[in-house]
Amino acid sequence: MKSNNKGQIRIIEAFLAVLIIFSSFAVSANFTITRNATRRDDLASVGSQALLKLDSDGSLGKFIDDGNWTALRDALNILLPVGVCFNLTVYDDQMQQINTAVISNGGFSSQQIHFTEYICASQGTVFRCYIIHMHLAVAT
Amino acid sequence: MPAISVDTFFACSLMVLLVLSAMASTSKLLYPHINNTVNDSIAERCREISKYLLLSDGTPSNWGQNSQTIPETFGLAKAESDNPYELDIDKVSRLNSENLYAISYAQIFAALKMSDVSFCMEIRPIFEVAVNLTATYPSVNETIYQFEISTEKHGILVQAELKCYVVAENYLETSYLHVSNGRTYFNITLSNDVMGPALFVVLAKAVCNAKIVSFGVCPFAHNSAEPKPKSTFLKLSPLNYTLNASSVYPGINLSKAYALTINYNSTLTQTSSSNQSITYSLPHFLDPSPTLIVVTGWNSTVFFIEWTAYPQLPLQIGVRFTDLTALSNVFANTYAVTINSAVYGCTVWLGGPRE
Repeated sequence: MKSNNKGQIRIIEAFLAVLIIFSSFAVSANFTITRNATRRDDLASVGSQALLKLDSDGSLGKFIDDGNWTALRDALNILLPVGVCFNLTVYDDQMQQINTAVISNGGFSSQQIHFTEYICASQGTVFRCYIIHMHLAVAT
Repeated sequence: MPAISVDTFFACSLMVLLVLSAMASTSKLLYPHINNTVNDSIAERCREISKYLLLSDGTPSNWGQNSQTIPETFGLAKAESDNPYELDIDKVSRLNSENLYAISYAQIFAALKMSDVSFCMEIRPIFEVAVNLTATYPSVNETIYQFEISTEKHGILVQAELKCYVVAENYLETSYLHVSNGRTYFNITLSNDVMGPALFVVLAKAVCNAKIVSFGVCPFAHNSAEPKPKSTFLKLSPLNYTLNASSVYPGINLSKAYALTINYNSTLTQTSSSNQSITYSLPHFLDPSPTLIVVTGWNSTVFFIEWTAYPQLPLQIGVRFTDLTALSNVFANTYAVTINSAVYGCTVWLGGPRE
C-alpha cells in the first residue's frame, strides 16, 4: 500500500509548477498591452485638413494668386502640428509648377513620407484652378 | 511530506516567481520598442470616431444652447453648417468644467454609446499668447507698467497683430493694433486715481491668416493688493449669447461688464438679476475672434475683476491617458476646427479596445 503512494507528491509538485508557469505566461502576456502607445496617425489627412481650413475663407487661393509663398508657408506652419515637416508644390490646371520658391519648413529626415493632393479654386474675379501636392513627414 | 520535497517545491516556486518577474519587467521595458505593428484597424476606428465627434451635431442638434438639455447622442458640430469641422460655440463651452452648465464626462460617455472607447479632448488656440509684467515705474500721478508679450507655438515665435485692453474700476483703455514679430514689450500708463486690481487683456491674430487667433490675460495690482485667482468671486458661464455671473459669496455687487474682441468692444447690459446671479446679454460680433468677457465688482470693500472667454477655451475633458495603468493603446488625432469663424486646434485621444 505504502509503495503504491510513492511518487505522488512529485506529481502534485509537477502539476503545481505547470500551473504557476502557465499563470506566469498569462499574467505577463497581459502586461504587454497595458502600456500607452500614443501615435499621431494619418499625416495625409492632417495635411488635407490644414489646406481645407485655409481654403474655407479663400485665403489659400489668394496666397497662390498673389504668389505669397512665405505667407502660405507660415500659415501651414502654424496649422500643422508641431514636428510635422511639409513640402508643397502648386501646379496650374496644365500641371505646370507655379510656385517660384520652395514652400517647406525643413528637410525630410523620416523614412515614411505621406502624400496628399488638394484641388483649390481661386475665389478671385478670374476663375483659376490649382492642384496642390503636399508631402508630409514626422520630423525625427 | 519529506523535507526534501518541501525544499524542492519552494525552490521551484521561487524560480518560477523570478522568471515571472523577469518576463514582466522585460516586456514592460521593451514593449514600446518592439511593438511597431500597431493594429491598423483599431487606429482607423479611432480616427473615424474622432471625426464623428467633430462632424456630427448630436441629438438634439441644438443641445448646446439649452442649459438643461443633456445630449442623447454626442457631437460638437454646428447644426446646419456648410463647413466641415465647424463647431458650435455653446457645445464647446459646455465641455468646460468652469461653466455652470457643463456636461460631465459620464454624460458624454453615455451619449457616445460606445462602451469600449474612452477619450480625452483638448481644444485650445493654435498658438499661445504669454503676458508677463516685467517692470513697474511709479510716479506721483501715474504708474507705468511694462509687459512682455510673446506669441509662440511650442517655442516657435509667431508673427501676430495684437490688440490690448486694460480694465480697472470704471476704466477701459483700448490700444491700436500692434504688430509683433513674436516677442514685444508694451507699456501702459494708469493714473493713480484709478482703482485696481487691473486686468491686461491681449488678443492676437496671426499675420499670415486673420482667422488664427489667440488671447492672453494678466491681472496685476494697481493701488491694490495682489489680485486673487480666477473664479474666486464669480463663476462666469456664457451660453447662447447670455452670460450668467454667479456669486461665490453673498453680498457681491457687480459694477461693469465688458465684451472684448480684436475689432470690437462693448459694455454689457444686465437682463435679469437674482440674489446669487446676474445675467447679461452678449453681442453677436461679426469678428473672427474669441470674445473676452470681463466683469468687475465689489466684495464688501474689495474690488475684483473676473474674466472668461466665449467660447470658453482652453479646455480639456475626458480620461487622463498619461496614467501608466491605462489598459489600451491610445491614438491621438489632431484637427484644425472653426468656432465662430476663428480657427482653433483640437486634439482627440482615443483609447482603443484591447487587442
